Amino acid sequence: MNDSASLQIQQLVELLAVVSSLTDEASALQGAAERAAQALEAEVAVVVLGGRVKASIGFPLGAVPDEEVLAVARHERDKLDVPGLGVCAATAAAWAGTHPGHLVLARWADERFSVEERNLVRGMARVLELTLTMQRTLRAEHEMRERLEERQRLLEHLFDIQRAISRRRPLQQILETVTHAAQDLFGDEVVGLWLRDPADPGRAKLKAFEGLRGELAKRLPALAMADAGEAGEAMRLDAVVSRDGGVSAVLARRAGRPLHASLAAPVHDSGAVTGSLLVASGQPNRTYSAADEQMLQAFAEHVSLALTDANTVDRMYQAFHDSLTGLAGRSLFLERMTQQFASAHTDGEQVALLFVDLDLFKAVNDTLGHAAGDQVLMIAAERIKSQLRVGDLAGRFGGDEFAVMLSQVRGVAEAEGVAERICAALRLPMAVAGQQVAVDASIGVAIGAPGQTDPAALMRAADIAMYHAKRAGRGRHEVYAEAMALAFGPTTAA
Amino acid sequence: MGVGRSVDADTRAAAQAAVAEAVVGTEPKLLVVFAAITHDGEALLAALEEAAPGVPVVGCSTHGEIGPGGPTDGGVVVTALGGPGFAVSTTVAENVSGRQRDAGAAVAGCVAEAGSRPYKALLMLTDGLVRDQESIVRGAYSVLGATVPLFGGAAADGWRMTGSYVLGGGRVHRDAVVGATIASEAPLAVAMRHGWRKVGEPMIVTSSGNGRVYTLDDRPALDVFLDRLGAPADAYTDPEAFKRFALPRPLGVQRRSGVEARNLSTEVDLEGRSIGGGVAIDHGGLTWAMDGDTDTILAATDAACQDALAGLGGRPPLGMLTLSCAALRAVLGDDGIQREGARLEKWAEGVPFAGFYTYGEIARVRGIDGFHNQTLVVLALS
Repeated sequence: MNDSASLQIQQLVELLAVVSSLTDEASALQGAAERAAQALEAEVAVVVLGGRVKASIGFPLGAVPDEEVLAVARHERDKLDVPGLGVCAATAAAWAGTHPGHLVLARWADERFSVEERNLVRGMARVLELTLTMQRTLRAEHEMRERLEERQRLLEHLFDIQRAISRRRPLQQILETVTHAAQDLFGDEVVGLWLRDPADPGRAKLKAFEGLRGELAKRLPALAMADAGEAGEAMRLDAVVSRDGGVSAVLARRAGRPLHASLAAPVHDSGAVTGSLLVASGQPNRTYSAADEQMLQAFAEHVSLALTDANTVDRMYQAFHDSLTGLAGRSLFLERMTQQFASAHTDGEQVALLFVDLDLFKAVNDTLGHAAGDQVLMIAAERIKSQLRVGDLAGRFGGDEFAVMLSQVRGVAEAEGVAERICAALRLPMAVAGQQVAVDASIGVAIGAPGQTDPAALMRAADIAMYHAKRAGRGRHEVYAEAMALAFGPTTAA
Repeated sequence: MGVGRSVDADTRAAAQAAVAEAVVGTEPKLLVVFAAITHDGEALLAALEEAAPGVPVVGCSTHGEIGPGGPTDGGVVVTALGGPGFAVSTTVAENVSGRQRDAGAAVAGCVAEAGSRPYKALLMLTDGLVRDQESIVRGAYSVLGATVPLFGGAAADGWRMTGSYVLGGGRVHRDAVVGATIASEAPLAVAMRHGWRKVGEPMIVTSSGNGRVYTLDDRPALDVFLDRLGAPADAYTDPEAFKRFALPRPLGVQRRSGVEARNLSTEVDLEGRSIGGGVAIDHGGLTWAMDGDTDTILAATDAACQDALAGLGGRPPLGMLTLSCAALRAVLGDDGIQREGARLEKWAEGVPFAGFYTYGEIARVRGIDGFHNQTLVVLALS
């Protein structure tokens, strides 16, 4: 092989090495132009792709004569006027395929390109075509792999959110899990979750966020829908809203940077629009694809799930609890007692029931009003609860009647101890309506017999004992005894 | 254009004497200063400012100074450019390592500030210990294209290899490039030549990277290179002996218009059996072992001067900047560099000339590359 042929092969190999070592297309094209110029010792090389100049060397920066170069590419001319050199011999080679292009070279005037050199340029164009095709294929595969990985991460995030919902984590914590996951997956600077203000459903309040200045965002008042930007729009339209440019200034101020694009999806509670989830980016060229919309909707639907579930739990709680004191209502109390009886009594441990009736409560109501009465009931409920152990349960059956279930007591004395402590706690003065109010309590104590399965009988027994306590002078407790029942007439008590 | 020089060891005295001799007119616009590394850069700048207040200075440290009267070591040579026919602009790019191309592009930015005279050249002086100097030149070319000739050299430090300096913007810099645009009403011409001959058959670079050649023809590059040149035994085992042997024997890299010399004597790896010099050698490239002697190198000196002067289009030269390679001194010896100086003086025909022995030469003449090793580069002004 002569030097010239081996030099040409060397040049092709070097071009291949340069182009394939540069992973982004712009660098690869620039590298190819410069390598081609070096190989032919040309002062000018230009890569044209899709009819536009994509890389060049040899013209002053920003002064490529596009039309003249394209004319050489089309073989309409074989000379180029190059600043600093004058009219130069030019040659070009084309490639076809999905992304057709041209490699154009120009060299100092008296140096025309030989047949071998034009052949080399054609070879270089071919190498460039193959390398670009390969790089694009690899890039497409890479992007597909990235999409799959993104899908996987989405599933993992959604699984985490679902687990948080099913384990009934606090709602705020679940919402923050969602905003955090959305930021991780979208890679955007800002995520915000807006919910209707319970006090004014016409306004929306920022409930959870990422990428905003904490204190500024927390102090943000509930906004009218029209002022909440894309988030408000998504709620008004009950649809996904995408915006390139002009993102509402409300968020940008709190993000401390300009925001250029946003995407918002509505969230629902029991089917009704109740808020929206928004992502926003400070990147000037950020746009959102259909896949992005789907992803945000998936997050928004999980917010809906969490809200609906939390409200269902809330409603169930309200159904079973006394709304004033938060203590168990009668039905929940009875259910829990039945459960307690059903679980076997072992090692001589028994269930005890205390019936607590406030003394002189009516007088408080009559003299200080119902609001004060309610306050007394709330304080009493707290004081009763404070005397209980884990596993015990306090309930309010209406008016000034409270009940306490002690789940595992070893005999009457232990139950009486609790009754005494409750009496003592309730006897302490209460600060109500600017006055010190004193109430007392009469407590009936009943112990479940081994094998007993009916909570109603025990309740009746405790009730009877409580009346005895009241009759015996108030502010005290009595333990149920058979004789008490006889005094009340026929009974089913144990 | 005027040139003045001094070998006074006292920096202030040397600078004053050189400036006094160089400034022949009343309107100096630029001082180009080449000084031995024994002269402190700060002291030199201060003395130059004292001798020629307000005149911009570009310059660098050397491995020997070139000018009328023969080459010197330990001297200062000052070129003063001025008069109504010239305009200049200067600039400095700092922190060059790692962003060589950007630095070259930045330096090229000063060309636009030198006005609209028809002829321009960009003088670039680089810190000689910066690697990948080709990228600095490429960066300048990417901005200017072929419109402006690129010329210059890499500062040297008298073979100490501890740090050269460049001067520009009134300060002393390391890891920097200084640029000076020379704009003229009359032609400026750049030329370059080396005096090396190919030895034996070509070798293919089968592994290279990071300014090193690992294998030639799939064998350890160090051994292939030394075998090809019939090197003495100690060059295979002793770094100093290798350097002595390889310095006057560059590796030739095939280009379309000829063979480029690459100095690979400075970074030998005796364990890995590779050779290097901080210049890019392309994988797959066709290379030759090369050698030369005083006669071939002096013939190149003649040819470079002739080419540059011919580039003036028949106009008489006002002066020349002549930069030669520090490594050539190893071949030429003390006597040889005196002969080289005499050749330069002959071609100058009485007009001033100045230059220095560099760690790399810059002259873009053909194609897009312009960084050379073991080569003489000449800028002729008219």
